[in-house]
Amino acid sequence: MAEASPSDVTPAEAAAPPVTTYPVQFTGEPGEYFRLWIVNVLLSVVTLGIYLPWARVRTRQYFYGHTWLDGQNFEYTANPVALLRGYLLVGVLFAAYSISQQFQDYWWITGLLGLLFFALYPFLLYRSLRFNAANTIHRGLSFQFVGRPGGAYVAYLLIMLSVPFSLGLTFPLAVWMQRRYLLTHVAYGTTRAEFNKDVGVVYTIFLTAVAVMIAASVVVGVLALVGVVAAGGLGRLDDWFPNGGPEDSVVLFIILGVIAYVLLLLLYASVGQYLRAALLRYSLQDLYLGRTLRLQTSLNPVRLAWINVSNVAVQLITLGLATPWAAIRRTRYLMAHLQVQTIASLDDFQAAATPQESALGEAASEFFNFDLGF
Amino acid sequence: MTDAVHFEAIFFDGLSSRPQPAQATVDGETLVVRPERQEQRYALSTLKVQPPLGRLRRVIRLPGGARLESDDQAAIAQLERRLHQNGRLWAVQRLEARWQAALLSVVGVVLFGVLFVLYGLPALAKAAAALTPPPVLTSLDRQTVRLVDNEYLQPSTLGHARQQQLSRAFRQLAAEAGGPYHYRLLFRDGGRDVGANAFALPDGSVFVTDQLVRLAHSDQEILGVLAHELGHVKHRHAMQSVYSGLGLTLMISVVAGDVTSAATVAGAIPAVLLQGKYSRQMESQADADAGHWLMRHGGTTRPLQDILQRLVAQDEDSKTHSRVLDLLASHPGVEARVAQLKAIEAESGR
Repeated sequence: MAEASPSDVTPAEAAAPPVTTYPVQFTGEPGEYFRLWIVNVLLSVVTLGIYLPWARVRTRQYFYGHTWLDGQNFEYTANPVALLRGYLLVGVLFAAYSISQQFQDYWWITGLLGLLFFALYPFLLYRSLRFNAANTIHRGLSFQFVGRPGGAYVAYLLIMLSVPFSLGLTFPLAVWMQRRYLLTHVAYGTTRAEFNKDVGVVYTIFLTAVAVMIAASVVVGVLALVGVVAAGGLGRLDDWFPNGGPEDSVVLFIILGVIAYVLLLLLYASVGQYLRAALLRYSLQDLYLGRTLRLQTSLNPVRLAWINVSNVAVQLITLGLATPWAAIRRTRYLMAHLQVQTIASLDDFQAAATPQESALGEAASEFFNFDLGF
Repeated sequence: MTDAVHFEAIFFDGLSSRPQPAQATVDGETLVVRPERQEQRYALSTLKVQPPLGRLRRVIRLPGGARLESDDQAAIAQLERRLHQNGRLWAVQRLEARWQAALLSVVGVVLFGVLFVLYGLPALAKAAAALTPPPVLTSLDRQTVRLVDNEYLQPSTLGHARQQQLSRAFRQLAAEAGGPYHYRLLFRDGGRDVGANAFALPDGSVFVTDQLVRLAHSDQEILGVLAHELGHVKHRHAMQSVYSGLGLTLMISVVAGDVTSAATVAGAIPAVLLQGKYSRQMESQADADAGHWLMRHGGTTRPLQDILQRLVAQDEDSKTHSRVLDLLASHPGVEARVAQLKAIEAESGR
C-alpha cells in the first residue's frame, strides 16, 4: 500500500528528537463488507450457529486487515475452532440457565449458575483478553496481554461490589480501574503500554453526562407542560376537536406523554453513546507504547455518539441490512481521527523472548484459550 | 513449468517489527525466501497459509513466528492449491466476492428463517419434549395448578358422588393411556370467564370445569373430551408448545442482537401452558386418540362430535370469554374436526 507512507514530519525543536506522525488508515468498503456479512449470516443460520466462530474471525480479519499504519496492516489470526469451544461452553451454560429459570423447583440451579458466572466472569474476561491480544499481529509481531487474573477480580468484581453501597459514586472509579487494567497490560512484542491517566477526568465525563441528562429531562418536561398549558389555555383544544369533550384532552395528554417518553429514551441512548465515546477518547488519547510511541486522537465524542445513534436508526429502518454499512461508517470515522506519533522507527520493536502461552501445558492452554465474545 | 511458484513478498523474521522485502520461490518441496540478508529455506509441509479474505494481502505463517506477506494473489492461490489448504474457505471466499451470491444470501436467509420456523422448530421442540425427564413435568404441573387456582378458577360445586363417578371412569381411561405420567382429574368452577372447558397439563393433571360437566348430555361426551386431553398428555403437546415458544423467543432475541434478554422475556412456562396454543396437527392427533377410544368403548364418535358443536354454539352465544384458558380459542376448525371423527367411525365400521 503505497498510499500509507509517513505523512508529515513535524519540525523538531532544537533539543527534542524529530517526531514522526503516522495516520491510521482504514480501507474497508461498505459494499465489499456487506457481501462478507451476508454470507456470514447465511452460513451461520444454515449451520444453526456452528459457523458463528468462523463468521466472527472473518469479520475481525476484515477490519484488522483493512487497518493500515505506515504501509503495514494488522492481522487477526484466531483459530475458529478455539472460539467454537468457548461458544459451545457458554451456549450450554446459558441454555441451562434460561431453562432452569422456567422451573420453580430448579431455581437452585439458576442461582448456582448465576453465582458461577459472577465468580468466573473476571477470569474468563482475562482469558479472552489474552487470547485476542495474542492473535493480533502487526509487522510480524503479536500483541500480548500480560495482566494477572487477580487484577481482573479487583477491577471487575471487588470494586463493582462497592457500587451499590456508595450509591454509584464509585462507578467512575471502577470504570477507571477497568481501563487501567485493560490498557497497562497490553504489550507489543516486549514493549509495554503505559496508562498514566487521572481518574478525575472519568468523574468529569460522568458528571457531564448526568448534567446533560438532568438538563435535557427538565427541558423535555417543561416543553410537554407548556404544550399542554398552551393548547388548553388558548382554547386550541376546541379547534382540534370541534365536537370533543374532556376525553379529548386526555387523548392529547397521552399523545404528549408518549412523545416526551420517546424523546427521553432517545436522549438516554444518546447520552449513553456520548459517555462511551468520551471514555474511548480518554483511553486512546496520549496512550503510550514504551517511551517512544504514543496515540493521538482527534475524535469528537458528540460526533461519534451521533454516528452510533443514527446507525441504530438506519439499521432499524433497513431491517438490519444496513448493519455492514454502519460498522464501516463508524470504523472509518474512528480510524480517520487516530494518529500514531513516534520518535523512533517502527522497525525496532522486538518480539517477547518466550511466548507466555507455553507457561501452561499444551492441552490446558488449548482448552482455556477461547474467546467468549466480550 | 506450470507449477513454478515465484512471488514478491515482505518477510518478517518473527524477532523484530522490521519488514524485509523478499523474493520467494518454491523449489521442489522447499520454499526459498531471499530477503536482503540471509536466505531462508522452509519445508512446504511447515507452511500455514492464512485463509483468503477479499482483496486483503495474503499471509503465510512460517516456523519460528516468522511470516511472509504478499499481494501476489495468483501465486499464493497456486501455492495453496498445491498444499491443499483452505479449500473450504476458498468456496466461502468465492461466495463473498459475488453480488449475485450476496443477493441470493438475503433471499436464502429469509427463506431459511421461514422454513425453520415452520418445520425445523416444531421438529426440535418435539425432540426436546420427548427428552424432558418426568420429574420436570411433575414440577411444572405443581407450579401451574397453583397458578390456575390462584388466578383463574374456583373450587368446584359439583356433588361429591358425581365427582367420584367421573374420577372412576377417568382412572380407567388413564390406565389405558399409560406412560410415566401422574394422571389426576381436577374439578373446578370455571365461572363466567372460563366457562365450559377442559385442559391438560404436561404430567397428566386434567382440569374439567363444572360448566363442561353440565353442558354434556352424557358421561360418554365428557369421557370423549377427557380422552382428547389425555392424547395431548401422551404426545407431550404442551411441552412441544412451550419449547416452540422458547425457541421462537430465542430466535427473535438473537436476530435483534439481544441474547441476554431472551431468558427474561421468555416468561414463565405456566402462563404459556395456559394459553394452550396447540397446532391443528396436535388437535387432530388428540382427536384421533379420543375417536379410537370412543370406538372401542361404545362404537361411535358421536358424543365428542356433539359436545364440540355444543361448545361452539355456546361460545358464539357469549362473546365475553377471556381468551386465556379458552378451549375453543385453541381448537380451530370445528367442522374439519367433526369430519375427521366421522371418518374414524366410518373406517372402523367397515
